[in-house]
Amino acid sequence: MFYTIIEQVVNGIVSGSVYAIVAVGMTMIFGVLRAINFAHGEYYMLGTFGAWFAIEHFDLPYPVAIVIGVVATAVIAVVVGNFVMQRIVGAPAEAGVLATLGVALILQNTVILVFGGSYKFFSGGYIEPVTLFGFTLAEQRILIIIVGLIVFVGLELMVTYSRIGKAMRAVSQNIECCAVVGIDVRHVALWTFILGAALAGLSGVLTAPVNVSVYGGMGELITFKTLPIIIMGGLGNVRGTFVAAMILGIAESLVATYVGLQFRDTVGFATLMLVLMWRPHGLFSAQARF
Amino acid sequence: MTQAESSAATTGRDLRAPFGLALVALACIAPLFLGNYPLHAIIIALIFLLPAHGLNLLLGYTGLLSLAQAAFFGIGAYTSALLAVHFGTPFYLNFLAAGLVTGAIAAPLGIPALRLRSTSFVMCTLGFVIIGQAIAKNWISLTRGDMGLAAIPKPYFALGPASFTVSGTVGFYYLVLAIAVLATLAVYLIVRSPAGRNMIAIRENETLAESVGIPTWHYKLVVFMISAAFAGLGGSLYAHYLTVVSPLTFQMYYSTTMLIIVLGGGAGTISGVIFGSLLFVGLTEALRIAPELRMIAYGFFLLGLVFWFPNGFAPLIGRLSSFLEKRK
Amino acid sequence: MTIELSRRRFCIGTALVGLQTLSSSAFAARSEDGTVRLGLVAPMSGPNARYGSFSMRGAQMAAKEINGAGGVGGRKINILPGDSQGTPVEGVSATRRLIDQDQVDFIIGDVSSSVTLAMQPVAEDAGVLLLNAASSNPKITYKAGVGGFKWTYRNYPTDENRALIVLQYAAEKKGFTKYAVLSVDTDYGRSAIEFTKKYLPRFKSQILTEDYYKEGEVDFRSVLSKIRDSGAQAIIMYGNADSAPIVGRQMIEVGIAGKIPLIGNAEFNTASTIKAAPKAMEGAIEAAAWLPTYDSEKSKAFVEKFTAEFREAPNNHAYVHWETTHLLAKAIEQAQSIDREKVRTALSNIHYASAVGDVTFDDHNQARLPMILLEIENGKPSIKGAYSAEIDYPK
Repeated sequence: MFYTIIEQVVNGIVSGSVYAIVAVGMTMIFGVLRAINFAHGEYYMLGTFGAWFAIEHFDLPYPVAIVIGVVATAVIAVVVGNFVMQRIVGAPAEAGVLATLGVALILQNTVILVFGGSYKFFSGGYIEPVTLFGFTLAEQRILIIIVGLIVFVGLELMVTYSRIGKAMRAVSQNIECCAVVGIDVRHVALWTFILGAALAGLSGVLTAPVNVSVYGGMGELITFKTLPIIIMGGLGNVRGTFVAAMILGIAESLVATYVGLQFRDTVGFATLMLVLMWRPHGLFSAQARF
Repeated sequence: MTQAESSAATTGRDLRAPFGLALVALACIAPLFLGNYPLHAIIIALIFLLPAHGLNLLLGYTGLLSLAQAAFFGIGAYTSALLAVHFGTPFYLNFLAAGLVTGAIAAPLGIPALRLRSTSFVMCTLGFVIIGQAIAKNWISLTRGDMGLAAIPKPYFALGPASFTVSGTVGFYYLVLAIAVLATLAVYLIVRSPAGRNMIAIRENETLAESVGIPTWHYKLVVFMISAAFAGLGGSLYAHYLTVVSPLTFQMYYSTTMLIIVLGGGAGTISGVIFGSLLFVGLTEALRIAPELRMIAYGFFLLGLVFWFPNGFAPLIGRLSSFLEKRK
Repeated sequence: MTIELSRRRFCIGTALVGLQTLSSSAFAARSEDGTVRLGLVAPMSGPNARYGSFSMRGAQMAAKEINGAGGVGGRKINILPGDSQGTPVEGVSATRRLIDQDQVDFIIGDVSSSVTLAMQPVAEDAGVLLLNAASSNPKITYKAGVGGFKWTYRNYPTDENRALIVLQYAAEKKGFTKYAVLSVDTDYGRSAIEFTKKYLPRFKSQILTEDYYKEGEVDFRSVLSKIRDSGAQAIIMYGNADSAPIVGRQMIEVGIAGKIPLIGNAEFNTASTIKAAPKAMEGAIEAAAWLPTYDSEKSKAFVEKFTAEFREAPNNHAYVHWETTHLLAKAIEQAQSIDREKVRTALSNIHYASAVGDVTFDDHNQARLPMILLEIENGKPSIKGAYSAEIDYPK
């Protein structure tokens, strides 16, 4: 009995890591651009497609495919960032919603147009199961957890010590003053966006081996999973988002086991609503950004 | 308020009534020269117009961005469907019930939601849609889950000896047209009233509105409920027109559709919403000539809307027509 | 104020003019142009495009074959697509457009049952033949034929028989009595389980745990560990083709592969699925309307051609739409005209030699289709029998 619960918690940590990598990207984008990126899941999808394409058509090994997937996502993010995201800075919330929805439609359906709507198989990745402390996991999942931690630590370091990181913090705290101290807000916004999108792409590439099925519409579900996480974590709060992602992963796992799998996707928003009723500012303060 | 609206307000109502009547008259004779497919498109546009009016009241006039319209649309659709399928009740009963039930449900949802800051509020309203879909899927004894409710009877008016059933596209067109006209009138009355002016005050500056004694909290809640009721009424029409409801009625796509209609037409204007609704449906249907590119084109349209027409198309039309005026 | 008036008039005028354009003959051609106009409604954009794309290609391949052989009674088949996006409103709009604008006489559609249900009254009112090739909701044909909608025909098996056949085989040949349910959370998955439950008492069996997964779900580990510890002997899975490999792989991870087989239907038998998780798929039992390795000349030819032309293997949706297009062509041939009423009559009386056997329609316009039962042995699907049964229609 105890073992089962621990096992489900471990499952939860695995899925939580996936969500975390995607969610920290989305929350950073919000912190700097004040826009909810409804297209965020599409970057996850693009990363997966990039890697799939590399493996399928050029027969490249998986580690190379990871790099290609992330780079492909980053390139598209540069285009979207320049033409769309930068212009949203300072615009009202509705603008961000519609613009990112538009981007989502374009990305999703362009992929369907180019690669066809059918689902593809992702071959590649480390799917051999390995047993650790009595739990059996595909090797890939351990990779995901490790990368999740690296991303988290890396972001913390970047934000605390690097110039761009400090600039990000500044922009998310007070845009007007940034101009005064000479920070190029649009530049910071663009790079934050590219980083966030690339992280989503990375998550996509890493989970593709265990998720197996690749298709153009796969990003939508990710967007819907990530939205409650970033609110609960405190918009713009990287640490809070990371914790919220883990909590959601574990909660989903427990609900799937003890209540029923059909309720799993509601856990995110249901928890969000409960949290908002009780703590309207989110579980963690949005003031403690980054 | 747009310039046009305020100028109309100062010169009084006399211009709107005859124009409105001319518009309705035009709509009444439309079936004479439009086939079933364009009529269908207009019907969909008018069905969406109701929740769009609701969202316009909430967003355009009171300044609250909400994505919950799909949730209330769905609740209204299911209410109507359940009554029609299980009790065979006449249409006007199903219709009114949809509005009342939805408005009532909006109250306990709105009270905690409206306390939230704008972004959290938006997410909370999205949550309503998702939870709504989950309930529709899993409360199988009531909703039959994914099997949905099918064979919803055509709208039946039990008026004793004068009873009739609305059938056929043309019949439904007139029914929806009549309801849309009444709904627009209702919105017009709300907006023109002192309550309407208070709503605008809240949108412009909530703190200031509060300080001059407007009970902003009550206003927001009531508008939220009215907005929900409009969406529910739209849902009722949807249920009777499509004859099938399923958990798919609760999807974010409808909420974003309403948002696009309101923002595209011009938030805060009534004519804008009407135009937006017709434009939106006209556009999505016209784009069917290029099926693969349809959604991509639609995505670009949204981007264009945000960057070139942040106030919707209404001001553009205004400029165009004043340009034409000068030419005269 | 004149500005107010002009602006309004302009708005509405523009919109109405726009709609006038829609209704004009810009795109419409009369069906007198000597072709057979066939509309195909399926999800072609958005997340569900992954089901529509196979359907479309199957139908297109059939049309190409028919046209290549001279057409139907000298007429070529022209397929006009309609995008339903998997939602009823879009499906109805697409149907309306196909009927009024594109002047189709026949429509094949949709994949999703709720869309098909919404399309039925529209097709009925217009007297357009609606052939359904892929929806599973039994209501579609409960209400068809003598049930009301006489213009709706379905060339796809209902789950009623599928559930019975699977359960029967599992109980009689394998001796299973305890099951776990892991089905897709759509009307297909739910109704198949509903039917399964109907027959449980007959085989003295029970369901220990019941879970439904959302389409697109990728994480089954929690449920699979639960199933592992529950004592279930088999997992009843009715789902989509793309979920099967994921479940298979995770069964290996959780440690139940080879110990608890999958039974039901989720295209377990396709080569790529078996390859993805061979240990998990071993011993899987499936009742399918068709499988890519079906041993008939027609079927093999279809698979070969499809794979050659589109560079990927066909799935169930591709097959059923291909078959249904040919079915329609045969009906038109037998009716010797494209008059809808004549084609309809021909269809009701047809004996169509499909790739899996003879097809006829019952009085509810439901095709009597054999259900193939297979078990995966040594990594290959091995056919154990074909079953056919009459449906018990509610009074």
